[in-house]
Amino acid sequence: MNNSFGRIPWLGVLAVVTMLPGCDSVDPPAFRMNMVEAVSYETAPEYQQEIADVLAALFGTPDEPFALPATGLDQVMLNRSAGPAWSDEAGYNYGLYRKHCVHCHGITGDGRGPTAMFLNPYPRDYRPGVYKFKSTYNPAKPTDDDLHRVLINGVPGTAMPSFSLLPGSEVESLVEYVKYLSYRGEMETKLIQYVFDELGVMEKLDDEGNEIIDANGDPVMERIPFDPTNDPDQREAVMDLLAEVVDAWDGANEMIIAPTEDSIPAEKRSPEELLASIEKGRSLFFDKDKGNCYSCHGPTGLGDGQQDDYNNWQKAHKKFLDETAKLAEKDELDDLEASLLDDREEVAESLYPLRNAIPRNLRQGVYRGGRRKLDIFRRIYAGIAGTPMPGGGPSAPGAKAGALTEEEMWNIVDYVYSLPYEPASQPQVVTPKYTQSITN
Amino acid sequence: MMIRSILTIALGLVITSSALAEWGSLKGRLVFDGDAGSPKELNVNKDTEYCSQHKPVDESLTVGDGGGLANAFVYLYVKRGKSVEVHPDMEKVGDEPVVLDNKGCRFEPHAVLLRTGQTLEVSNSDEIAHNTNTGALIANAGFNETIPKNAPLVKSFESRESFPSEVVCNIHPWMKAYLLIRDNPYMAVTDKDGNFEIKNLPAGKHEFVFWHGPNGVIKSLKVGKTKTSRKGRAKLEIESGETLDLGEVKVTGKQLGM
Ligand code: HEC
Ligand code: HEC
Repeated sequence: MNNSFGRIPWLGVLAVVTMLPGCDSVDPPAFRMNMVEAVSYETAPEYQQEIADVLAALFGTPDEPFALPATGLDQVMLNRSAGPAWSDEAGYNYGLYRKHCVHCHGITGDGRGPTAMFLNPYPRDYRPGVYKFKSTYNPAKPTDDDLHRVLINGVPGTAMPSFSLLPGSEVESLVEYVKYLSYRGEMETKLIQYVFDELGVMEKLDDEGNEIIDANGDPVMERIPFDPTNDPDQREAVMDLLAEVVDAWDGANEMIIAPTEDSIPAEKRSPEELLASIEKGRSLFFDKDKGNCYSCHGPTGLGDGQQDDYNNWQKAHKKFLDETAKLAEKDELDDLEASLLDDREEVAESLYPLRNAIPRNLRQGVYRGGRRKLDIFRRIYAGIAGTPMPGGGPSAPGAKAGALTEEEMWNIVDYVYSLPYEPASQPQVVTPKYTQSITN
Repeated sequence: MMIRSILTIALGLVITSSALAEWGSLKGRLVFDGDAGSPKELNVNKDTEYCSQHKPVDESLTVGDGGGLANAFVYLYVKRGKSVEVHPDMEKVGDEPVVLDNKGCRFEPHAVLLRTGQTLEVSNSDEIAHNTNTGALIANAGFNETIPKNAPLVKSFESRESFPSEVVCNIHPWMKAYLLIRDNPYMAVTDKDGNFEIKNLPAGKHEFVFWHGPNGVIKSLKVGKTKTSRKGRAKLEIESGETLDLGEVKVTGKQLGM
């Protein structure tokens, strides 16, 4: 990419997109544009380039990441995570992300590394900034501790490995880099939407804000470039959008679900007490006005209650594929639609096969988000973000009670823990319709 | 005496015209141009016994007996960072909550208008459980909650959205509604006959967005003397004290992405 930014006066920093041609035979890795979003919003090629330029000014490149002060990200940690893998004389490791994560999560953090297509579930696409296994309310971001825990424990039952053997400082740097890729990915989508909402080909205005009319009496049209360097309004909008992204992440610590002390079951309970709690949990699991867990997890907890739905990542792809198929079915396409269809089909072909979101088989006793009672409690309280699983607790701090009281949620936790040992009276096998197309 | 009454009349005129001067309305009727056929049946494969009695149908195209297109959104486009003057009567956000009910294994209504700060009440009138998931919101944090009978969820949102977004129930994935959140009252949903009206708009030239789910903005739609753009927007002039009546606006299946 040609670096037209040079010095970005509006940011008061030096752009890091210096890429001299000829200094290396292979192109250094570049961030990939989110084409599902760009094509959905009909982002014209000029705008795509301009968005890429603005993103490069805000975030740098995979080899030279850049943390704008407004992001609060730690530049030193990003430097350790980014770039090619190597170690310095003191034995410090660099390029951690490319060494440990890139083959699954991809350079851009889009979950499209070389091995990704063969994994089930697919590796996480960090760009929407949605994470499943966290301590916070459903729509909230994960805390640093949450991401740290995922890296230490891995996600049991999936391809996501544990990185507990890495030194603490490396794990911390990787957490920072995951956040960086999410900030960048969220910002990219916001910029694509901004360009759609605010820019485009419009009536050219004179200094007084009146339309300029040509000889035929039609308004003169012009393309408004996306150029925050020279347009103060755009600059302000870009910084506002960035602040929205950063604020949500910064607020995560205030969104932690902390169970009230009295509701937490005692450490030492008699077998009778435990049994009573399990029994309560069991009836809540099947109570349609309470837990209603069986609707999705099935009457025997095998995960075969509702298997037709998709998680949010797959749903976005499904929508894109459906719209593309509909466009392809049309008889007469005008030039614009025809070229749009070409773009869409190219992107559609690059997507991995769609998979349904399959509720967990609770008889296996494998918990992806951690096996502490507190982990299961939070899954039931907030649901699992980005997936069909709904929450039973209040929807936000201070919001009115949800379907379940805390005590009831702890009862369900006890029941969930007991499920792998409960004899299934009518043992059932999960029978998804298309074995190839499920996420287990 | 004479002079006085002339003055009063003159003054009176001034007053009335200034009260009318600044505001105007927009109305019209969206009509489906083509054969809508009868609504498609859905694959009701969950809670089948209960839900089938209510015969939920595919609501992605709802056309009334007279051909009116229901559930289309029409709303004022406002540039980022700009705000629109709001008629004094409409400034205050209503205290009454906007209700989105889970009823008969569908959402009622199918298209919901909500202002920022206004209360959305999600209820469940069914004998079975539902969850309501607004994870598709863009500017606002969504939620995904189990909705028990007799314990509605209440929620309000802070940011305006550029477009309506999908609300779903994951237990019954055929259930869909659309929710539009704006920071001004200038929005409407077409009723079962395709009619819509947006009252008390500030007079002047405005852009209006025409939107229908699931496909999104309605492009190249002939409205009055103009057409909607690739972004589904049409520029219309609202005159003071007048209602701009677009009359019948014909929408084809193609424009709805079908
Ligand atoms: C062998 C493939 C693989 C490798 C290597 C890998 N991951 Fe993952 N990762 C996954 C998969 C698969 C998931 C999705 C798990 C799921 O959805 O349940 C995932 C999920 C995640 C999540 C999301 C967890 C959540 O709560 O939603 C994070 C964060 C993450 N990985 C970070 C990393 C980092 C950082 C590295 C490198 C240090 C890494 N991963 C290496 C496969 C991998
Ligand atoms: C609308 C469907 C739905 C409902 C209702 C539902 N779940 Fe889930 N549940 C899911 C899906 C889908 C997953 C898998 C999410 C993923 O990891 O992608 C899941 C995962 C889980 C997990 C695994 C967590 C982990 O760490 O691996 C547990 C435990 C669980 N659900 C318990 C419950 C309980 C208890 C209830 C009732 C209070 C419930 N679920 C209600 C859909 C549902």
